[in-house]
Amino acid sequence: MASTPAAPGSSRGGARAALRQAGSGALTFWRVLRANPLTMVGFIVVAMIGITAVLVIVAPHVLTPYGPDQLTTDYNQGPSWHHPAGTDGNGIDIYSETLYALPLDLAIAFAIAGAAMLGGGVLGLIAGFWDRPGTIGGAVSIVILRITDIFLAFPSLILALAIAVSLGRGVWQLIVAILITWWPFYVRLVRGETLAVKHLPYVMAARAAGVTERRIVLRHILRNVLEPVVVYFTLDIGTVLVTLSTIGFVGLGLAYPSQAEWGSMMSYYQNAGLITAAPWTVLGPGVAIFVTVLAFSLLGDGLRDILDPRSRRVLAGTGTGAIAAAAPSESASGGAGPAPAAAAEVSSPA
Amino acid sequence: MTDPVVAIEGLSIDYVVGAGRFRAVSDVSLEVERGHVVGIVGETGCGKSTLAQAIPRLLPEPPATIGGGRILFQGVDLVKVPLWKMPAIRGTGINMIFQEPLNSLNPAFRIYDQVAEAVHIRKVREEGRSSVARAAPGPFDYSRRPNPKPSDVWSGKVVPGGAVEEAVHRKQVDRESGVSRTELREDVLDYLRLVRINDPETILNLYPHELSGGMRQRIMIAMALSEKPSLLIADEPTSALDVTIQAQVLTLMKELIEEVNTSILFISHDLGVIAETADELGVMYAGKLVEFGPIAEVFKSPKHPYTKALLRAAPTRYKSDGPLLSIAGNVPNLSRPPPGCRFHPRCPIARPVCRVDPAPPLALIDGAAPPHRSACHFASEVEAIP
Amino acid sequence: MGRSPTDLAIFIGKRLVQLVPVLLGIIVLTFVFTHLSVANCSIWYPHASASTLANCQAQFSKPILVQFWTYFVNLLHGNWGASVTGVQVYPAIADGLPATLELVFASLFLMIVIGIPLGVVAAQFAGRWGDHLVRIFYLTGWATPTYLGAVIAAIFLAPYFGLPSHGEYTYTPPPFHQWTHMSLLDALLAGNLPWAADALRHLILPAAVLAFINMGIATRMTRSSMLEVIPLDFVKSARMKGLSEFFVMYKHALRNSLITTTTVLGVTAGGLLAGTVVIEEVFGWPGIGAYAFTAIGGGGAAPNFDGAVAVVAVFAVGVVIANLIADILYGILDPRVEWR
Repeated sequence: MASTPAAPGSSRGGARAALRQAGSGALTFWRVLRANPLTMVGFIVVAMIGITAVLVIVAPHVLTPYGPDQLTTDYNQGPSWHHPAGTDGNGIDIYSETLYALPLDLAIAFAIAGAAMLGGGVLGLIAGFWDRPGTIGGAVSIVILRITDIFLAFPSLILALAIAVSLGRGVWQLIVAILITWWPFYVRLVRGETLAVKHLPYVMAARAAGVTERRIVLRHILRNVLEPVVVYFTLDIGTVLVTLSTIGFVGLGLAYPSQAEWGSMMSYYQNAGLITAAPWTVLGPGVAIFVTVLAFSLLGDGLRDILDPRSRRVLAGTGTGAIAAAAPSESASGGAGPAPAAAAEVSSPA
Repeated sequence: MTDPVVAIEGLSIDYVVGAGRFRAVSDVSLEVERGHVVGIVGETGCGKSTLAQAIPRLLPEPPATIGGGRILFQGVDLVKVPLWKMPAIRGTGINMIFQEPLNSLNPAFRIYDQVAEAVHIRKVREEGRSSVARAAPGPFDYSRRPNPKPSDVWSGKVVPGGAVEEAVHRKQVDRESGVSRTELREDVLDYLRLVRINDPETILNLYPHELSGGMRQRIMIAMALSEKPSLLIADEPTSALDVTIQAQVLTLMKELIEEVNTSILFISHDLGVIAETADELGVMYAGKLVEFGPIAEVFKSPKHPYTKALLRAAPTRYKSDGPLLSIAGNVPNLSRPPPGCRFHPRCPIARPVCRVDPAPPLALIDGAAPPHRSACHFASEVEAIP
Repeated sequence: MGRSPTDLAIFIGKRLVQLVPVLLGIIVLTFVFTHLSVANCSIWYPHASASTLANCQAQFSKPILVQFWTYFVNLLHGNWGASVTGVQVYPAIADGLPATLELVFASLFLMIVIGIPLGVVAAQFAGRWGDHLVRIFYLTGWATPTYLGAVIAAIFLAPYFGLPSHGEYTYTPPPFHQWTHMSLLDALLAGNLPWAADALRHLILPAAVLAFINMGIATRMTRSSMLEVIPLDFVKSARMKGLSEFFVMYKHALRNSLITTTTVLGVTAGGLLAGTVVIEEVFGWPGIGAYAFTAIGGGGAAPNFDGAVAVVAVFAVGVVIANLIADILYGILDPRVEWR
């Protein structure tokens, strides 16, 4: 399957080749997505959510009929054409509020997950790569590991709640509270992957060939670690969002009418007794959270399947890889070749 | 001619991947006579393992499908049997041993439990207490039995006995009380002794990872034979063993073939191993069976260019007098097989007709008394190839 | 062979010993994190009396090391502290712990009985509609925030199924001696079947919600480890023995894939414990989750710092013990592993 190679030095040929590469990569991606319909659903919904978030920030009136916290005189109305998710006791349209909360929730979730990934990832890389006992790196690794172990013992929601108590309400307090409990997961993940990759034959081969440590880390280790981290990050957005809104629900996150956030909205409705009196109030933020988290989870879960080398063959649905794995494995030793091994009596080299 | 234990007629196996179909085995026909050992030899990727695992319908059916043909096992077409009914035929009808002895035994269970499970299945079927399959009471001598009806397969009467009873110290079975635990243990020990494991009591409580490869393969053989199958399929049983252990296991198998009245389908890539054990030989290439016949005949005068080249390529001397002969070219990509005869790009006697017309599968060569078949238009000219 | 009972005992002993510094770290960390900011006594306790406020101010204005030392010394004497109104922490936690354990065990039971077979089914139908259905099921659970699921269950599902949505029993106190303070167990031990049925009806909805939300990871892990195990030769050997597909999957394949599934027991325990905070609050279940909810100031309650430290520490210890059990189970299930 040789594609026509462009001459490496030529800029036009190089650009065209790069574009073709990207194009074929995208085509493969699309083919893979089609083979996993659930993942495609997740991908599409995530894309739609992203577009919605951008629209709400840039041109809010396209999607929301009412302004932020705009009071109307329609108190406590159920879902209707004017108010798809109903209104609350102040006449605020729940549907609009939910959309206004979307960018904030997403931004906070991405900030937390991203910071945890970067911070935890770096620590995990150090703990995994420079962990030879007796060196400075080794000592640092042990310290990192012990601290991480202690942090990992806490159920993250509970510790985040406890921190939020003392820090108080507010966006930054919320981010810090969750971030403190979140980074250990990335340390463990990245460390595990680093350890696994470190001993792979081709890393040892690179080292033997004289490649500098830094280049090894950057090229080989990071590239292999990146896949599971990306998968975990995607799933994490969902988990962070759930934690975030649970903290809001408990009453420790943001304060609702001033800062719209799905969890705080639900806390407000719960405290106002609206959930029993006016059950539709659950609809707006509840459905929003559920759909968002489900979309990210579908995408992440599907990505995990696609990228996992073992199930990759069954589920990626692309040509020869699937064939090779679907057929029962032929003998690995002494495989092909027109020269069958001699009879057992003749001692042959192994 | 006696009835074959299994007769494969025109079997094709496809893999359905995405939108395409890929034919791993094309139109294969062969028979395994009762009490005979049929060897199938071929390179990696020629479809022999696919064929072997298709017979007891072991292939995962979603990607793999039977594209045509019949597998007649004691009168029943296994292709038409629904998958959920296959457990009745497996075990006591057809059994199988695999290549990797470490992976073939369940690492979580002790040896005793695994062999006892197999013995228990057979006993339960023999005594008629299995809802899945029932068996005739007493040792069953297949040679004296009339042709089974298709419904016999799972209404019960096709569990064969064999000569194992002569080799095994057997206690009286108490029909009323069923299978007792001491008797089960005795049977397990007996079968372990059958495969020449001395002091089998010592290994009963061990786990597979605590034993050597040769030991594990013997246990696999014991497990398979303890169910007294009519047909035993051996899928490269010695390929994963080192050469000395390979020799031991082969010797064991040859002796067992004498003692036990089970027919064997022996798959290997190793011509030497097949030469020691088989009565008939089938050669596969690129999913097709290109030659089939009594092994002495095939070795002495192969009737297909591929077989001839294969035999010629085997190193026969310590010091070579010249470079090793190999077959020019490469095995074809099975998703795009060559038109006509699949071997023609590499065949020294290829003619224009070979490019167009795939040779009829295994045409009989006149005059041979046990049939010797070859899928070559010019089978008679193969002798002349140097 | 490092697998004798003495090896196991030594292993457990070593791990319990390692528990001590971890416990210390947990206590320190929890204390530090809950006492991070300056005293906001008037914000925390808006309705408290002047003397209470003065107490609070005096306590929280000390340097954090002094605060911790006081706390730690008290702890060593068995005094777990009290809330700002003087309610002792230790009795509250001791009373609530069995109820939470009951809820957690019930959820674990449901997760194992439903989640693991679902994972097996998903692996058997990998890539086909069965797999997709199972995936939708467990991802739905995962995507539902605990409070959303609890609120929907309590407000909509409970009346629909005729199940109660509050408390452990319909009438309290129960007319038998409570040995374990676990509602269902006590009723069964007392032989009082009507009350046992009542306890079960109260238990089932919160346990089901908790299980549904946390089932994802067990199902997911079972599915991927089954996918690894099913193509192996010993599964084919088991089929060739003549076993029905059911036995092949659930006796041979699952037994091996459970080995990797137990490794997620610790994470699962964390999720379950965290979930009890909201579930117990919504369902009025008298456990330490509800205690944590109020101690943390949930729903506008006054924060109880001593209580918060204690309950968070208890949860963390629970996770550590769950991890220890997972390690032991791993050693039992996989005969190739030694206990070191």
